[in-house]
Amino acid sequence: MESLKLEKVIKQFGDKTAVNELSLEVGVGEIYGLLGANGAGKTTTMRMVLGLIYPDGGSIRYNGKPHSDELRQIVGYLPEERGLYPKVKVSEQLSYLAQLRGMSRKDADKSIRYWLERFEVPEYYEKRIEELSKGNQQKIGFIAAVVHKPQILILDEAFSGLDPVNVELLKATVKELRDQGTSILFSTHRMEHVEELCRNITIMHRSNPIVQGSLKEIKSRYPREQVALGTTSEVTGLENIPCVTKVTIQEQGGYLINISDVSAAQQILQIAMQQSVVEKFELKEPTLNQIFIKEVGESHE
Amino acid sequence: MNKLGTVIGFTFRNKVRTKAFLITTIVLAIIMSIAINIPYFIQLFTGEDLKSGSTKIGLVYAEQANVAEQLDSYWKAQNNDEFTFVKYDTSDAASLKKDIEAGTIDGYLQFSDDQKTLFPSVVYSSDEDDGLNAVAQAELSGALQAVKMQVIVQDSLTPEQIAELKTPVQFNAQNINADASAPKANEKDESNRMMEFGVVYLLIILFFFTSMTTGNMIAAEVTTEKSSRIMEILITSVSPLTQMFGKIIGMFLVGLTQIAVFVLVILGNLFMPQNKEVLADFNIDLSQVSIDVLVYGFTFYVLGYFLYAVLFAAVGSIVSRTEDLGQAIMPITMLSLAAFYVGSFSMGAPNTMLMKVASFIPFLSPTTMIVRIGIGEIAVWEIWVSILILVISILFFGWLSAKIYRTGVLMYGKRPTIKELRKAMKAYKI
Repeated sequence: MESLKLEKVIKQFGDKTAVNELSLEVGVGEIYGLLGANGAGKTTTMRMVLGLIYPDGGSIRYNGKPHSDELRQIVGYLPEERGLYPKVKVSEQLSYLAQLRGMSRKDADKSIRYWLERFEVPEYYEKRIEELSKGNQQKIGFIAAVVHKPQILILDEAFSGLDPVNVELLKATVKELRDQGTSILFSTHRMEHVEELCRNITIMHRSNPIVQGSLKEIKSRYPREQVALGTTSEVTGLENIPCVTKVTIQEQGGYLINISDVSAAQQILQIAMQQSVVEKFELKEPTLNQIFIKEVGESHE
Repeated sequence: MNKLGTVIGFTFRNKVRTKAFLITTIVLAIIMSIAINIPYFIQLFTGEDLKSGSTKIGLVYAEQANVAEQLDSYWKAQNNDEFTFVKYDTSDAASLKKDIEAGTIDGYLQFSDDQKTLFPSVVYSSDEDDGLNAVAQAELSGALQAVKMQVIVQDSLTPEQIAELKTPVQFNAQNINADASAPKANEKDESNRMMEFGVVYLLIILFFFTSMTTGNMIAAEVTTEKSSRIMEILITSVSPLTQMFGKIIGMFLVGLTQIAVFVLVILGNLFMPQNKEVLADFNIDLSQVSIDVLVYGFTFYVLGYFLYAVLFAAVGSIVSRTEDLGQAIMPITMLSLAAFYVGSFSMGAPNTMLMKVASFIPFLSPTTMIVRIGIGEIAVWEIWVSILILVISILFFGWLSAKIYRTGVLMYGKRPTIKELRKAMKAYKI
């Protein structure tokens, strides 16, 4: 059964529709990607899932049940603009937040120590938030979201503002939580994270879900339009092949060729083989980035 | 319930441990201790002579031997050792000055030899700038007054008549409106009345200051949580109502702790041996404080606090930045100022129509009711009606504030107007 299921959820602010008939399902142990440009309705969707605001239409079910106060204990939330008490000790505010989520003081303390250890910052236990760097505050914010072992975790831009080392650390943690059976609703602008983590995604644009489904299936829907070619010497005449729209010579050698039809790929390979030795030939599948820009960018115009 | 306790505990612990709180409490406690001990300190500095023995005043007999003789005998009859007279027959300033310098006398009293007036004028000469200390001066002029009367009436009146003349007129106020339900309003003697006046004034000031300071703290705290965005996590963890009331109760306990510290400091100081006498001098007896006034005072204090606190929380929730807070809480500040001034200015006339009406208006009743209970006349049912009105308004404003709070904490940007707030409430379905 799905831990989280949204069915035709509608939210209106005055005469403006913020979310229009959004349906999605997050299974147990799944990371679901929610993508969209700024103002597309992601935060509103998350707030509805959290029960902060109520949808005008449709339903949101958690383990098959509607929203209730008990839910607060099984939901974890990392808001986009994360905040913590600047002047309160890390251990104290984490313990406070964990207790609000229904943990006992003792369990909370154990969990806090575990997580600080996990993020290799056990010395922050006694520190105040204002003493930490921004990236480290972020880690504490993440701990605040997961300290009570939530079943449903909502991460709004979880990795923004972190250095690559910490991104990897957090990514590994998110995967670990997923493998432990946590259902994660994940929003981001960074497509490479989505490609790495998510099974299913929804791209929202101006309140509407425009692309939905499993990542694999979505990608197969879009034609392969790029060929990467690596040769030992120069190849000429690629532009003259029908259906080739653009040839880019890459900095580190090799060509990136845009095509409007897959059949052109074979001709490119033939020409290249005639003129030079082919070291690399790849018919690239579209990246999520391209799909996103295509969908969101096009309808912008 | 459990979560409410967690919120209360967190709020309380964090506030009490801040440096600002500790420092203000300690500084105020020190100021109070000093203020209470001022009379004692003054005595210490000016009363040094008293300790080395009573003041010796030279009494010059030369000009008005009769008056001087009467003064001396009158003073001896008083059996007062504030000062003693030393007889001088000479009015030679040089020799008197010598004695002052030698320390035999502290100063001398000299009468003018003007025969035209019935009683001569008196001059006290000494080497100190401030002359006699205030107590001795009062005693001396009292004695001179008595002597003056004796000199003028001579033997035309009997000693009994003279004694009667000296006693002040007995003026007693009596209340003929013997209301059975408010017996304590009657038969209050003077010191008791003074005491109640003091207690009422103290209660009003206490109410005003603590509700203002803690109210401001609540609003500031809510705004800080909102601007630091921790609010988003908080409202997903605990219901806004629990959170709001947890904060209000937590702050209330902070205020109460501070008051308790101050009360302990005041009592501790008052019961120090040197201050016991001062208390007795002012005819203050702490056991005279009417328990009724304290119990009602506490009830109205608590209820009034909650009424203001929910409003402060609501205002705090609609402001996004701490800079805007001062402006936003202005109306509440005005309201509490009104309550304070109506209450304190009416202490001289607690039974006016203004007070009667005000004591049933929720925001004004915490102060005005205390004045009426403590100083004025009031029926018990009036007190209970006022309490009931207060409780109902707390429920109403609590409900309204919870709604505003719920909406306000999610609204960022500029301070919303009432219309925008209502629209948002509708949109959020709160």
